[in-house]
Amino acid sequence: MLFKKIGLAITFSPNGLPLLKSALRLKNLFNSGLCLIHVGEKNTETQSQIDQLIQKAGISRSSFELVWKKGEPAKSIINAASEYNVDLLIAGALEKENVIKYYLGSVARTIMSESPCSVLILTNPHLEPEQFKKFCVSVDFTPLGETAVKKSYEFAKLENANEFFLVKEFEVPGLAITVYDSRSIDDTEKSKQEWQIEEEGKLKLFARELNLKGLDYSTVALFGKQGWEARNFVKENSSDLFVVPSPPKKLKFFDKLFQHDIEFILSRLPCSLLIIRN
Amino acid sequence: MGLSATDITIFLLSLSVILFFARGLGELLRYFKQPIVIGEIIAGIILGPTILGTIFPGTFNSLFNQSEEVVTALNGITLLGVVMLLLVSGIEIDLSLVLRQSKAAVVISLLGILFPFSVGFFSAYFYPEFLGLTDPSLHLVFALFVGTALSITALPVVARTLMDLQIFKSEIGYLIMAAAMFNDLVGWIIFSVVLSMIGQNSGHSLSLSSLIIVIGSFLVFVLIFVRKFIDYSLPFIQKRFTFPGGVLNFIFILGFISAAFTEYIGVHAIFGVFIMGIAIGDSVHLKKETREIIYQFVTNIFAPLFFVSIGLRINFIENFDPLIVTVFLVLAFIGKVVGCGLGAYWGGLNKNDSLIIGFGMNSRGAMEIVLGTLAYQYGLINEKVFVALIIMALVTSISSAPIMNYFLKKVKTELSFHTLLKKEYVIFSSSQTKDEVIAELCKIVAVQKKLDFNLLYNSVMKREELITTGLEKHLAIPHARINTKESIIAAAVVRNGIEWNSLDKLPAKFIVLLLTPEDKPEIQLNLLSDIAKKYNDVKIIEEIIASKDANELISKVKQLY
Repeated sequence: MLFKKIGLAITFSPNGLPLLKSALRLKNLFNSGLCLIHVGEKNTETQSQIDQLIQKAGISRSSFELVWKKGEPAKSIINAASEYNVDLLIAGALEKENVIKYYLGSVARTIMSESPCSVLILTNPHLEPEQFKKFCVSVDFTPLGETAVKKSYEFAKLENANEFFLVKEFEVPGLAITVYDSRSIDDTEKSKQEWQIEEEGKLKLFARELNLKGLDYSTVALFGKQGWEARNFVKENSSDLFVVPSPPKKLKFFDKLFQHDIEFILSRLPCSLLIIRN
Repeated sequence: MGLSATDITIFLLSLSVILFFARGLGELLRYFKQPIVIGEIIAGIILGPTILGTIFPGTFNSLFNQSEEVVTALNGITLLGVVMLLLVSGIEIDLSLVLRQSKAAVVISLLGILFPFSVGFFSAYFYPEFLGLTDPSLHLVFALFVGTALSITALPVVARTLMDLQIFKSEIGYLIMAAAMFNDLVGWIIFSVVLSMIGQNSGHSLSLSSLIIVIGSFLVFVLIFVRKFIDYSLPFIQKRFTFPGGVLNFIFILGFISAAFTEYIGVHAIFGVFIMGIAIGDSVHLKKETREIIYQFVTNIFAPLFFVSIGLRINFIENFDPLIVTVFLVLAFIGKVVGCGLGAYWGGLNKNDSLIIGFGMNSRGAMEIVLGTLAYQYGLINEKVFVALIIMALVTSISSAPIMNYFLKKVKTELSFHTLLKKEYVIFSSSQTKDEVIAELCKIVAVQKKLDFNLLYNSVMKREELITTGLEKHLAIPHARINTKESIIAAAVVRNGIEWNSLDKLPAKFIVLLLTPEDKPEIQLNLLSDIAKKYNDVKIIEEIIASKDANELISKVKQLY
């Protein structure tokens, strides 16, 4: 099974119902459990608000469990997720006013970086949730990277996706410096292209080893800053789900200040984002 | 005090003579695979008092000492040269790479600075006369300077060496680049403090504590706020203004302002421009083309003017002091090679790799020359020390590539087929089927490595069931990831061929069993792609399977690399 239990924090914001509907769609798709988490006082008013929401979403009483938590939202959601064995947390991204640009709010950001399980961040949840048709997976050659590819490939097959991209970024710091000492620009361009072919060859082997069958996939090797290049690739080919293996370390304020890797993606989400964790 | 018509003529003429010699000797050095900067220094020595000034003093004087105005104009141009050079050096530094280095890189960087710095500092502090201190009032500053001079690494020379040795895009290349960038950053910060301390000695400028506060706040301001500002402005400038004109102007304006500011507060101009360079280079919006245009323009026009001008002001033969030169050379080698080498070793690398890193980081090149020139201009060091520094910079740069190459050849990396294949693991088999030959290979590995045969055989066969491992041109690479720390390779030659369901339908004759650590998929990928690439030719495979015995096969394999 792809994911056993989906977790979603219920809020009464405008995004609340669309998120709930999206969670329901995925629950049915994965044939998984659903755990709804509400952070706040449990009283008759909130109870009835939640009832209304669930009714509007059209979820049957027996198909989910409801968890009440008090305290700091992000922490409470994370605790509930590990207590109830949730393996996929869903969260919404915020939209900057006037421009269509998505970013992570502080709660979603904490969830993303501290959640024990995989996280799906939806950029524009609809009342009529749509399928993901174009997948793009950022690959690294680690066991977690393998898991990310396998899981998203299964996901894409369930969705009956049209396109599936495997993207590998590679960085060679200081390539331009070699121009400094007697190398020509053509030479650096040539090295860049050779490396690109080499990386793409490896990516093809990697995919071959994973025995992906049932859906065509394309492989792309990108030269440049980690995170940034893949993010732009996803944006340009307008994929609708971007999958990344989770970064090995927790992100701190320092990482936000000096952006790298996944920070480039989080601060300018190109589309919905699935972060895979073991 | 304008330039007369004669002055202008002479000035332009001298510039063209400088560029002509710089290019000529630079290209000559390039032909011998040496850093181009060495040719430029030699050009200066030829054109300066050392050679031209001794043989044809008249020509030398009329070209470079025509009048005070011409000298001032030349100095202005060389100042511009060094400021631009430092802007480029800053742009090269990948800040995020420096800030999130791996453990090994951190240890290399730190020891690579601390060790040579201490070696230099204490030698100069306790034996100043050996190192040529002339002004006793500068004792401490001089010791600090020698420490800094020994801990510098020249990024461009390192980058070029790595590229020549084809290890630029490898783990070791990445480590060296990260450490060298860190080294550059810290080196320049220390040097700017040292430079301002000389200013203090001569009576003006701020006290040391306020100086450090000023430098600190400048760093924070530029690297955090200005950097963000640049990151936001660049896309706008690239979109609205002509490309690359707009971006180039923007970059140089920021660089010059920053240089002017730091010069004003009593820290040398190069510090400001260097830090601004870092802030600019960090932006993801700065295109690779823009970088390359700036590099070309600066390093082919302005940098040569600066490097040649060094030789114009000093007689290298008169000021050659064998003792000081030797002392500096010995300290330089000990400091860097031991410092970085130990750092790499403690960071978890093997002995050979550590030595490669040590010698790789030893090249000082252009940066040392800039440092020495400034110290000389400030009167901190005399001609003899200056000449010793230049010679040390040249020798460390020239020696770095050949020495690295020597150790590279000895390196046994886990990522190469030819070093992993041992003759005990080569068989000439008459097996008829895939299963038989895989079993045969697994048996050998199981016996040699004391592993469980069934486990090996089952994992390889399980992988074999997924998709065939038969590649084209008689090559098959059955493989699996197993619980092992090191990669294992065994090979079988089957002259009659075995049906392997290969892509080109040819039977497999050279069968390579590849067992790699299960937690490192990348090693498997690298080996697979390495083997598939090298043996993509029927002739090579035929040559290999024609070997009479394992020894011959191994030597043929080695010849391919």
